[in-house]
Parts: sequence; structure tokens; C-alpha cells
Amino acid sequence: MSLLGADYRRDMGVHSYPVLVYALTTLAALVLQAWLPRLLLGYTWFDLPLVVTVYFALARRNPIQGTLMGAGMGLFEDALTHHAIGANGIAKTVAGFLAGSMGVRIDVENHTIRMMVTFVLSLLSSVIYFSIYHVLLGLNLEWNWVTELMKAVVNSLIAMVLFPLLDRTQIRD
Amino acid sequence: MESFFVRYRNLLVLLAILLAQIIGLAMQVRHTDSGRNTLDPQDAAGVRLLRLWADMVVTPPERAFHASRLGVAGLWQNYIDLRHTREQNQDLQKTIDRLRLEQASLLEDAKQGERLQALMDFQQKYIYKTQAAQAIGTSGSDSSRVFYIDKGADYKLERDMAVITPDGIVGKVRDVFPHSAQVLAINDQTSGAGVILMTTRIRGILRGNAAGRPQIVGILKDERIQPGEKVLTAGGDLIFPRGLPVGVVEKVVMDPDRDGFIDVIVASAAHLNRLDEVLVITSTEPRFPAEQQQDMATSEMLKGGQAAAIAEAIKEQKKASEVMAERLPGLTDPNAPAQAPAAAAAPGSARPGQSATPAAVVPPPAPKLLHAQHPDRFTPGAGLPQGVPAPAPATQEKKPTPKAALKPESKTGLKPESKTGLKPVSKPETKSVQKTNPPPVHTEGKTQP
Repeated sequence: MSLLGADYRRDMGVHSYPVLVYALTTLAALVLQAWLPRLLLGYTWFDLPLVVTVYFALARRNPIQGTLMGAGMGLFEDALTHHAIGANGIAKTVAGFLAGSMGVRIDVENHTIRMMVTFVLSLLSSVIYFSIYHVLLGLNLEWNWVTELMKAVVNSLIAMVLFPLLDRTQIRD
Repeated sequence: MESFFVRYRNLLVLLAILLAQIIGLAMQVRHTDSGRNTLDPQDAAGVRLLRLWADMVVTPPERAFHASRLGVAGLWQNYIDLRHTREQNQDLQKTIDRLRLEQASLLEDAKQGERLQALMDFQQKYIYKTQAAQAIGTSGSDSSRVFYIDKGADYKLERDMAVITPDGIVGKVRDVFPHSAQVLAINDQTSGAGVILMTTRIRGILRGNAAGRPQIVGILKDERIQPGEKVLTAGGDLIFPRGLPVGVVEKVVMDPDRDGFIDVIVASAAHLNRLDEVLVITSTEPRFPAEQQQDMATSEMLKGGQAAAIAEAIKEQKKASEVMAERLPGLTDPNAPAQAPAAAAAPGSARPGQSATPAAVVPPPAPKLLHAQHPDRFTPGAGLPQGVPAPAPATQEKKPTPKAALKPESKTGLKPESKTGLKPVSKPETKSVQKTNPPPVHTEGKTQP
């Protein structure tokens, strides 16, 4: 019954966007993530690729699409660092999958819910990222939970501003 | 079976992607002999290709952003803040915007010009060859303190080249792309630079901590380390030249992992979070300005000239000593007969006033004192008390002084006979010298010829 309900909501609420919006938004997120810290004196308390991944996964309500987008974004971010390629990819893959899965069960039009989802998935992404380093790879990478908390808060604030703007680019029938 | 794949399609896709990434991760990690895992410092071909693609995607927009940073910022601000007012005051606002942009652009250009001027001054004075570059982007992650510069393999940049500013060291080149390069900053956790504390001369390794602050690790607890002490590069890491400023000691904290060890937090001399222009040391061969090179060349030439003169003087001295060795028999009596050696072999057989020619088998006689041309009271045998007659000059006049004998020839050059020793100095020549230089005798301050 719940599956039918989810299908019903998905059929009724799946949003689509022009291909150009997909391309430009993802590219802008990746480029700004690499460029903005220069203007912000090195503070990297945000994760634009994650925010964009969560947005499209929620809006499309498609776990596979969220998974693929998260994997692509994460791998791209890894490629810009000097760390192993794949840690961010796994973290954002999981985040994208969960966002896409939640999209079929919650009301994605509500800004507060979307902010909370972004906050939770940011924290989860950080936890997965450092777990991969410590547990899976056995590497020593120090981390500060306050920084990760701040990053989740800032991501939620960015989502609050960015999601309504991206909503305006939806293709409406 | 088909329904299984359809039903669990989402999960299967997720698992497949996760599995692929985990395998990829496992291929990048290496197990060291010390039992710890570490990332392969040299990327594999596939990984490097991914990084190159990412760099190719990100760098052009970053370069464009960097080139028109003010324009983009102004456009953004105008769009957000002035969208409605621009409609009302369009003409006036356009003028104000244009002037504001121009002013800000000029101001920024002036600041950038000042920075570049300072950088160029430093670059020209710096002894090593450097390449100026501009920071255009970052990794976007606070766990990876790397940034990108707009020079790459096209400017002959290579891996592990030191990156500095006039204020202090910044990092090292980690990866080089065709038109850009990735720089690992000194405040990254995986960086490492050999440093030394200037006053206490304590050496350590500098690396970043989780908060992105550079710290010196692995130092035994030492009371002498005080905040404010300068930190310099030690030069032992083969990346940073010795003596470059790193920063100053900010505080000393206990190492949480090891008892008895401390971590020295360093306030970096270079502004790592607001880097614009940096210098990459492309060659550690000392490079001197043209003026200094000219001075060094002149110095080398003078050294060569002096060496030649010294060699010539040594040669002359050697030649003169040879001549003196040949002339020494003349000190005794050049007129001695040729059969004298047999008689001279017996001590006391020599006639008064004549020295015997030393035989080859007889050890050389003790050097005989020469009479000074201008003896005084310190001259042996001349400082006699008043009333005591001076040594008879008659015996001295017959003996040619070596100086007198050598003096004319040393000026005019030696004859071939003299060189070979085949012909002794002629008697009349010796006599004429003696006549012209009679030995004076000093008595009570008066000189008597």
C-alpha cells in the first residue's frame, strides 16, 4: 500500500529540468567549490556538490539518478584533492541514494524538510568520509567534529537559498 | 529472476557503484613495511587521468573567474542589491556603476601592481631561479590543503619544487598539469618540511594539523622553546632551501599521542589563506645578478694574475737559489786551485784567507758569515769596545761578498756559463766590485771607509 502511495506521489511530483540546468548547475557547484575558498580566506565550511546532489535527488525522486550524480560529484571532488579517489565518491553516492529514496516518501516541496534532509545528509556524508579513511583504508586523517557540524549548518543555509532558485528552473507543463 | 532485478534495481545499482569505488580505493592504498597503510605518493595512470580531467574541467572557469573576479562580483552584487533601483534610476545608476567598477578595478590593479612589484623585487634579489605564478583555485576541501596555480608544465614546473612568497614558504608542487599545477600547502596534514628553530637550534618536521595550522611534531619536551621564536627551513628535505622563513612559534602544546613530546604550533609567515601571487623555485643553482657576476669574473681574473705573478716570483726565486748554490763556492775563494779539494779534505789544511772547496764526500762546512757591506755595532765582530781595533779589512777585501758578486748578474741576467756552473766568476769582475764597494767600518757613530 505504501509502495503504491509512493508511486502515486512520485508520478504526481517528479520534477524535470532542462539539460542545460543540470550541466550548468553541477559544473558551477564543482567550480565554485574549488574557487570560493580563495575568497573566503580558506574556510571551506560548505559542500556545494553535496547540496546540488541532494536537491536533484529529492526533486527527481529517483534513487538511481541520485546515486549516479552523487558518485560523479564525489569522484570529481576527489580528483581535485591529493587524497585517494573514491572516498568522497562513496560518501556522496550514499547521500544521493538516500536523498532519492527519501524523495518518494516525504514532501519535497517543504523548505524546512529539505533543509533538515540536507543537514542530516551532510553529517552522514562527513561520517562516511572519515570512516572510509580510518576504517576501510586504515589511514590517519584528523578531523574536527565542530567543523563538520558547521559545514552541515552552512549547507542547510545554502540549501535554503539555492533550492527555491533552482525550483524556478523546473519545466512546468 | 527478472522481477528480482527490477524490484531491487536501486539497491543493486548502489551496491555496484559502491563496490567499484571501493575496489578503486583499494588499488590506491599501499601497505608499508612498518605495518601502516599509506596512499601511493605517485598516482597511477588511471588516477592521474581522472585528476587531469578534473583539472581540465575546473581550471578554465577558475582562470576566467580569477581574471574577471571584480566583474563577476560586481555583477552579482548589482543583480542582488540593485535590481529594482536600477529600473528607477537607470541612467544615473549606470554611470555610478561604471565609475565604481572602474575605481575598484583601478584600485585592485594598483594593489596588484604593488604586490607584483614587491614580488619582482624579491625575485630579482633572490639567489635561486624562480617562476612567479598566481593562485587560481583550491581543492575545495578543508581536509586537503592544496591549491592550484596558473603555471604548469608549459613553464617547466616540476613535482616537488618549493613554492614560496617573499614572506615565507608556502608549500611544494605536488602535481603538474599542462597549464596548471597543484601545490600542497605546508598546513596540510600530509605535508612535511624540515625546519629549525632559530634560537634553540632544535630541528623538527613541520606539517599541518586538523585545524589547518602548521605545527612542528616529534619534539621532545624542551623548556627553552618560547612563543615568538622564529622558525626557518633546515634545508634537509631537499625541497626547501635552507634558511627560508617559515613563521614564528605561537604556542607549545603537549603531544596528545606521545608522552614527553610536544607539538609546536607555528604562526605561518606566509598568508596561506590569502595567497595571490607565489614564487616557484625552479632551480636551486645559485643565481647572481649581472653586477655581481662581473665582480666575480674580475676577482677571478685578478686571482689568476696574482697566481701567475706568484708563480713567476717563485720561479725567479728558484732560479736565484740555483745560481746562489752555484756561486757559493765563490764565497771561499774563486781563485783556489783545482787540486785544492784533496788538501781541503784535511781540516786545517786550508791556507789562511782561503776556503777550501768542499769535497763531495765531506759533509758541507758550517755556513761562513758574510761580511756586511755596512756593518754596525750589532754586526758580529764589529761591535767592539772603543780602543779595540776592528778586524783587519785587508783579509776581507780579498774575499768577494756574495751580494757583490751576485748583484750585477741578478740585474742583468745570468750568463749560460754561470747557469751550468762550467765557468766560475772571473777574477777581474770580482775585484772591480770590491773596489767599488769597500766595506765601511763603524766607530762611535762615525763611518770610516
